[in-house]
Amino acid sequence: MTRKQRRLVLIGSGLAVLGLAAALVLTALRDTIVFFNSPTDVVEKQIAPGTRIRLGGLVKPGSIARGENLQVRFEVTDGNTALPVAYTGILPDLFREGQGVVAEGVLEPGLFKADTVLAKHDETYMPKEVADALKKQGHWKDDYDKKRQGKTQ
Amino acid sequence: MIAEIGHYALVLALGIALIQSVLPIWGVRTRDDALMAVAGPAALAQALFVAVSFAALTWCYVVSDFSVVNVFENSHSAKPLVYRITGVWGNHEGSMLLWVLILALFGALVGLFGRNLPRTLRANVLAAQSWIAAAFYLFILVTSNPFLRIAEAPLEGRDLNPLLQDIGLAVHPPLLYLGYVGFSISFSFAVAALIDGRIDAAWARWVRPWTLAAWMFLTLGIAMGSYWAYYELGWGGWWFWDPVENASLMPWLAGTALLHSAVVMEKRNALKVWTVLLAILTFSLSLLGTFLVRSGVLTSVHSFATDPTRGVFILMILVLFIGGALALYAWRAPMLKQGGLFAPISREGALVFNNLFLTTACATVFIGTLYPLALESLTAEKISVGAPFFNLTFGPLFAILLLAVPFGPLLAWKRGDLVGVAQRLLAAFAGALVAAAAVVAAQGGGPVLAPFAIGLAVFVMIGALVDLAERTALFRVPLAAAVARARGLPRAAYGTAVAHFSLGLVLLGIVGETQWNTERIVSLKPGATVSLAGYEVAFDGMVPRQGPNYRELAARFTVRRDGVVLGELAPSKRTFTARGTSTSEAALLTRGFSQVYVSLGDPNADGSIAVRLYHKPLVLLIWIGSVVMVLGGALSLSDRRLRVGAPKPARPKAGLQPAE
Amino acid sequence: MTLWLVFALMTAAAIFVVLWPLGRRAGARPGGSDLAVYRDQLDEIARDRAGGLIGEAEAEAARVEVSRRLLAAADAAAEHAPAPGGTVRRRAAAVMAFIVVPAVGVAFYASFGAPHLPDMPRAARQAPALANQSIDGLVAQVEAHLARKPEDGRGWEVLAPVYLRLGRLEEAVKARQNALRLLGSTPDREASLGEAITAAQNGVVTEQARAAFARALAREPKHDVARYYMGLAAEQEGKREEAARIWRGLVAEAQANSPWALFLRQALARVDPSGAAAMSEPSGPSAEDVAAAALLKPEDRDAMVRGMVERLAERLKNDGSDVDGWVRLVRAHLVLGEREKAQAAAGAARRALEGDAEKVRRLDEAVKGLGLEG
Repeated sequence: MTRKQRRLVLIGSGLAVLGLAAALVLTALRDTIVFFNSPTDVVEKQIAPGTRIRLGGLVKPGSIARGENLQVRFEVTDGNTALPVAYTGILPDLFREGQGVVAEGVLEPGLFKADTVLAKHDETYMPKEVADALKKQGHWKDDYDKKRQGKTQ
Repeated sequence: MIAEIGHYALVLALGIALIQSVLPIWGVRTRDDALMAVAGPAALAQALFVAVSFAALTWCYVVSDFSVVNVFENSHSAKPLVYRITGVWGNHEGSMLLWVLILALFGALVGLFGRNLPRTLRANVLAAQSWIAAAFYLFILVTSNPFLRIAEAPLEGRDLNPLLQDIGLAVHPPLLYLGYVGFSISFSFAVAALIDGRIDAAWARWVRPWTLAAWMFLTLGIAMGSYWAYYELGWGGWWFWDPVENASLMPWLAGTALLHSAVVMEKRNALKVWTVLLAILTFSLSLLGTFLVRSGVLTSVHSFATDPTRGVFILMILVLFIGGALALYAWRAPMLKQGGLFAPISREGALVFNNLFLTTACATVFIGTLYPLALESLTAEKISVGAPFFNLTFGPLFAILLLAVPFGPLLAWKRGDLVGVAQRLLAAFAGALVAAAAVVAAQGGGPVLAPFAIGLAVFVMIGALVDLAERTALFRVPLAAAVARARGLPRAAYGTAVAHFSLGLVLLGIVGETQWNTERIVSLKPGATVSLAGYEVAFDGMVPRQGPNYRELAARFTVRRDGVVLGELAPSKRTFTARGTSTSEAALLTRGFSQVYVSLGDPNADGSIAVRLYHKPLVLLIWIGSVVMVLGGALSLSDRRLRVGAPKPARPKAGLQPAE
Repeated sequence: MTLWLVFALMTAAAIFVVLWPLGRRAGARPGGSDLAVYRDQLDEIARDRAGGLIGEAEAEAARVEVSRRLLAAADAAAEHAPAPGGTVRRRAAAVMAFIVVPAVGVAFYASFGAPHLPDMPRAARQAPALANQSIDGLVAQVEAHLARKPEDGRGWEVLAPVYLRLGRLEEAVKARQNALRLLGSTPDREASLGEAITAAQNGVVTEQARAAFARALAREPKHDVARYYMGLAAEQEGKREEAARIWRGLVAEAQANSPWALFLRQALARVDPSGAAAMSEPSGPSAEDVAAAALLKPEDRDAMVRGMVERLAERLKNDGSDVDGWVRLVRAHLVLGEREKAQAAAGAARRALEGDAEKVRRLDEAVKGLGLEG
């Protein structure tokens, strides 16, 4: 083989691998990506039942109801809309009323069936998506002053 | 006074770094040895001053000097001593100081052990290293100064976060940093070569041990972080494809590629331009890793905006070093002389194949990690790219790479014989087939992927052994001769075989954990028994306990198999009263390489408690394999040929020495 | 003084590090080259050939290639003879070291350093007398105590209102819960818990808070704070009449001109403007009212009154014709001890009421009655 041919083989195989990778990435991006939504988004975008999404917001205080066999129901709210969530299993340590939560699962009419409920190992952790969604809805607890005002309302 | 001395030492380190970034280069330009010689002592002095600075901050933490803002915000006098010390780097400012300490230490090591480097190369490398250092001293002093003081010192610190009081979490950042920062040496070497417009064999020989050392630390750091997540987070996951993890995986992949391409460069003087590029990319990914994690961009784009000075500074450092190095590369790389020729089927070709796949795999991780960020800033649409994406992209690429691993070391340099190699690998093929068949027979219609993956793992492992057998001509020459050859084999050859073998081990662990993992999530009352993958786990009861600053609900489980008691497990759930936070402490029972894993959920009103039980077959192999991989690296590093100019040992039986 | 001496020594050491290599004779410096590597490679080829790993032809080719590189490297090394006449350059470098190191040191340390502050290790700092301590220091002491003895309910009870005042609302809730759990339920403790929860939830009376107030009222139906918040809960649910009914009851019992009554009336005005005005006539204070106002912690009362005053001022800015409103505002400022603001408000009132002699007269009378110079 001449130098040129060798170089062609090298470049050719390189392109082949890149092509393979690109194909993999594109398929994966089409099939495996999950969109993040707040309860309001779910209503506004009219997301079709059966879609797999991530739902983020705050656990509505007083909404946690435990059933048989580790079944749990609670509501996720962004301040405007609340969406009931059903989950079976053990909730993370940091799952608490009024705290941020991200649940992944399938949307059904009027109910979100979660198979994963996420929590992080940081107690001040507010999932980024949740914070954004809450800010969008204007329910972000920014600072002490606002809390103070809230108290005298 | 101690805090102020630490502060001033850091300032002086900046001053020295500034001088060290200019004088040696000037010396190279004017061929003045005296100016070049400034680099070595200056690098040592930098390390000394930063060490003083770090020691001072540590002292402030140890004695709880809350007049230092950083100590006040991140420590508490009630913390145990060891966590007060590890708390030094548990926060942004302190961790940056640790970062520059390691950077300066590496610089000093080059200054100390680089005596037999060409003088110009040494001067250029140390100058480039010093640019990085100067930028970071500035960054720390201006935006993240850990030595700022408060005149009215508070009596007590702010932080008592129980979750951060964990030794695994405390040790793994320094290891990761040793890895990240270690790649700065390869980077400086690359920049030096580009400045010089000349690159030679000494360069590759010099870059390889530094890359290898950094790579070993990074491997250990990643493995440790993974084990921490496994036992601490309470649900048995060991890798989440989380952006923070990906940030450490990317430099690892690029660094692994660099290790291999440096071999080609050293032995064959080829792939020069590519190796230089890889060295730049690897450190760029390390910088990206450190800062994406540290700046909080990954967890929230907003935190970037809340602290604009810091964010802009980080951005400037990234642009300056990554962009600058790449620009220098574009300008100077064409000047580097191209090296030797080789056929596609050859050792060089195999290493190119390795590089191609490693960098492509790295690129897919890069896309998966940064695509959501890019999409969000462009369209405000939020997506999550999780494990399925990486399994689909990274998985196949790595499977192909692993398939090729045993071939590489068996191919000859320049022109190899693929058929011949395949014949020599017959034993490995046979072993793989047997293993796969055994898996099919044993699991009878279990996961489809398992037999293939197990077969692949066995193939890689036997392949590594075949490599050693070939080198020692085992079975072909009398045993005594083979032993003699084995003795004479360079340690690097053993290192290669051991590291490749460990890939198979890790893969076995991953397959066992993902394909045969048994999970039970149940609500149990005391006295109940659960069967789990052939084990009977009996729940004996719960005892409330009072810890030093928490209350604890400890459960007791007895694990039996066929009626024989294997051991007891005591997972617990802790509630830290002061903050009202709770943590779960998982309990593990090890059987061979497999583990039974129990962690507690919430207690119910009727006296039962939610319990997660897992049986994770072969899971320990993931970390044992990683450690073996590091051992392989260490073996290779201890090869004296890697030390340029080291006198060769007397070799009476030189005639029996095969090349690596 | 010692500190400056140490700094000076450190600076000197840093400068010396740069000067030392500059002053050494040339030629004493070691330096390797790639020659060694190529010689090593030649050895390796010989070994490979001897070991039978490569053929004679290949070995020969490799030997030639490496030898060529070896010669090239040797030439390059010879080319690199030290340049002559560097004395000026070295002096320049030395001067640079003399200037840059101290200049950087002074510039950065002067902007960020705090040389006058001594070390303050925790152990060396005996707790000073309570009175001299900052709130933060006191909180820290109590917190440290509670970290050791989390079962001390009294500690939590002391800490809770302080947290509330510092805006650490979530911690205030936890402290209240701990106090309740450890010391047992009393109406006051339940009501305080509800209050803390409400504060932490941005002023929304949640189910949890409501439950706490309900428990308080179950034990003491006349509990003022609990009743106030029940009213607030009703308001937030849109049951304005119920809120008005509850608050009217509270106003009737409250001491007429106490901040508590002012505050209640303000709340009442939100849900029932006419009713509030009707009840604004002073009525005699009762012992019970005094107690009720005292139940509110001073800082809360302050915050409540201030919120009320702000809203009132806002309303008067838009509609300045309400002379009674102005009088209330002036009085409120006086109650809060803000004499200057009271005067400013009186001035603003006069400007707003200009052209209505009758109203100005009423205003002046009332202001004089409050002891404020017209």
